[in-house]
Amino acid sequence: AQVTLAGHAVLGGPFLGPGTLQATRIFHTGQPQLAPVPPLSEYGGKVHLGLIPEEFFQFLYPKTGVTGPCVLGTGLILYCLSKEIYVITPETFSTISVVGASVAEFIDKLNEQKIAQLEEVKQASIKQIQDVVELEKSQQALTQKCHYLFDVQRNNTAMALEVTYQEQLHKVYKEVKNRLDYHISVQDMIHMINWVEKNVVQSISAQQEKETIAKCIADLKLLSKKAQAQPVM
Amino acid sequence: MDVKLGELSSWILTRDFTPKGITGAFQRGYNRYYNKYINVRKGSIAGVNMVLAAYVLFSYCLSYKELKHERRRKYH
Repeated sequence: AQVTLAGHAVLGGPFLGPGTLQATRIFHTGQPQLAPVPPLSEYGGKVHLGLIPEEFFQFLYPKTGVTGPCVLGTGLILYCLSKEIYVITPETFSTISVVGASVAEFIDKLNEQKIAQLEEVKQASIKQIQDVVELEKSQQALTQKCHYLFDVQRNNTAMALEVTYQEQLHKVYKEVKNRLDYHISVQDMIHMINWVEKNVVQSISAQQEKETIAKCIADLKLLSKKAQAQPVM
Repeated sequence: MDVKLGELSSWILTRDFTPKGITGAFQRGYNRYYNKYINVRKGSIAGVNMVLAAYVLFSYCLSYKELKHERRRKYH
């Protein structure tokens, strides 16, 4: 819609002073698209590796799938490097060290974790082996002290031997003494018999002797008669 | 994109190539990028990073002529 604007409204119509302005302006009409301004979106457009927006990946998805952009990127990089469209200068190394610093930090952290794990395992195994070594040493020390045991055993056996030897010696002594006592007692007996005989003989007077002899002769005669009688029967 | 490749030439002819039109195009492009990647609540570094990468690429192209002499091999 067009609106005519008179800058200086004067009573009457035809007089137009210097300040009048006649212009046709087109104002914004119709439904304005962003009447209530929408709130700020939460996240920006998705970007891969901080460089390549997601739309590129979606663009390639129907033809090449998910790995398409990766292969394309790799191929392009290799092409640029091999054809030396991108020339490797000292500047490359400085940029790599700037970017690489953070990457290196991250990788160093991962590495350190792995190393710490391995270190733990190593320490555990070292400790185990040390324990075993100590056990061995203690056992060796024990074997060093075994000689006490052997000494005691030796003493015991020596004592036992001594005891048996003494016992046997004592037995021998007793046996010998027995025999000797026997001999002595026999001799004593002989002496005693002689002595008894002597006394008895002394005690027997002459007269008694004659009587006894006569009686003995009579007995003998009887006996001889009996003896003679028997063999004939 | 909303323009098909076959219709590209006819679409270009309909564009406004006056200075006003060109500035308008740049303005629109800038606004589009700005509202998509920078004017958000949780923006990432990608918004600035893409601009910097584009600048790096552009300056590399400009200085390629001198860099050509630092190549390791002459024939590839």
